[in-house]
Amino acid sequence: MNTAATQTLAPMPASAPARGKRRDDPKLELWIAWWVTIAFYNIFTIAFFILSRTQPPPKAWWHLPRIVQWFDDNHFGILFGFAMMFLIVGFSIAANALIAQSMRRMSVSPMFAYSYLIIYSLAGVPGMLLTCIALTVGAMRPDRDPKLLSLLYDMGFLSFSGTMGIFLIGSLVWGIAIVLDNNRVLPKWFGYMNLSNALTEVVVAPCVIFKAGPLAWDGSIAYYINMVIFGIYTGAFIMLLRNMIMREDFGSGVLPVLEKPPRR
Amino acid sequence: MTNVVSAGLGRSSGGLNSKAETELRASVIPGQPDIWVLVLLEAFTFSSYFVVYMIYRMRNPGLYLHSQAQLSLQLGVVNTIVLLTSSWSMARCVQSARAGDYGIALRDVSLTILLGLVFTVSKLFEWVTKTQAGLTFTSNEFFMFYYFLTGMHLLHVLMGFVFLGVVVYQLSSPARRSQEVIETGATYWHMIDFLWVIIFALLYVMR
Repeated sequence: MNTAATQTLAPMPASAPARGKRRDDPKLELWIAWWVTIAFYNIFTIAFFILSRTQPPPKAWWHLPRIVQWFDDNHFGILFGFAMMFLIVGFSIAANALIAQSMRRMSVSPMFAYSYLIIYSLAGVPGMLLTCIALTVGAMRPDRDPKLLSLLYDMGFLSFSGTMGIFLIGSLVWGIAIVLDNNRVLPKWFGYMNLSNALTEVVVAPCVIFKAGPLAWDGSIAYYINMVIFGIYTGAFIMLLRNMIMREDFGSGVLPVLEKPPRR
Repeated sequence: MTNVVSAGLGRSSGGLNSKAETELRASVIPGQPDIWVLVLLEAFTFSSYFVVYMIYRMRNPGLYLHSQAQLSLQLGVVNTIVLLTSSWSMARCVQSARAGDYGIALRDVSLTILLGLVFTVSKLFEWVTKTQAGLTFTSNEFFMFYYFLTGMHLLHVLMGFVFLGVVVYQLSSPARRSQEVIETGATYWHMIDFLWVIIFALLYVMR
């Protein structure tokens, strides 16, 4: 078992080895999930930040004419960007599965992994899909009644920002699992970072009350500072999951330390 | 359960060089080094909130001055003294634990919890009186910041009770009593005390 563990510690080379070897690699599924996660976040960034320009979000206090103009300005971007999201939204499952896998590898109860999976499987519906649907419906017929466009505008952005509670609880679940874990699957500092991320997500809740200022859905606190923390957190967990896969020995005890520094 | 909770706040439990690492760390940094990531991240986050507050305050100093006058400076001072005292008792707890006086350490952490509860009740009382006086979350910009900053801080205090609970659990049996875990809990509690002092200065004092 130790020999097998040593053999599987080295990272997979970027170029494909002999076909027989790659097919036998027990970590192949884990790497596929990790790369799908990377792909998902990149496509998400392109769809939301570049094409549809729904991130950073426009102002919450805009009145009807300005909202209509926003839909008009971003008409094709919204349609193409979110059409793309509708296609690849299933990719988000890879990240959730990998994170749940990390919890299954820990010494804590599988209850943590199951809770996380359930929470995050549901989180994508109000937290992302509803935004895509509402704004796509708004962009689809530009001659729609401005009041309806305004309704879809509010629904889209409030659902994206206001449903952070789901992610908050998910962060707590993962954070507590990491802190309680004896198998050293993920470092304790990242467990605490989950707690910090969870607390930060609380600040988004007031966006249902304020249409302007730092606590609005586009506010400096509720959005920008929140996104900085979330960005650091996401970058950290992607790299830590990569590290975890490289260390994976498919056992049930303490995950071995990497003997070589990770190869880029 | 013992090992689970001991590992809970970062105690090393086997693995390569863990004991040597732990001993080295124990001589350099109090508590588990990992908790300092949380402390620094929270300090950064709250600092950014404070900067936003200062920027908004600069735009409308009259409103903020007038609104600040509605706050009870006395209550703010009492809250600050309560939290500072709780930090003192937590420091005493760490000191007692280091000396092996676990009974006294348990008493000290219990005092910390009690003072934390006093702070919590006091804060809730203050919110209720302000709300009854018509000064709510949406009254004006200053009170939005007031409820937001004190609310976020109280949330951290509530999480602090979890850390203190783990410290109590550690101290209550000879089978546990990890100095590292106790110091980790103390580090977190000192952090929320530190944050409160700044909030107090910004909201209550700085005029």
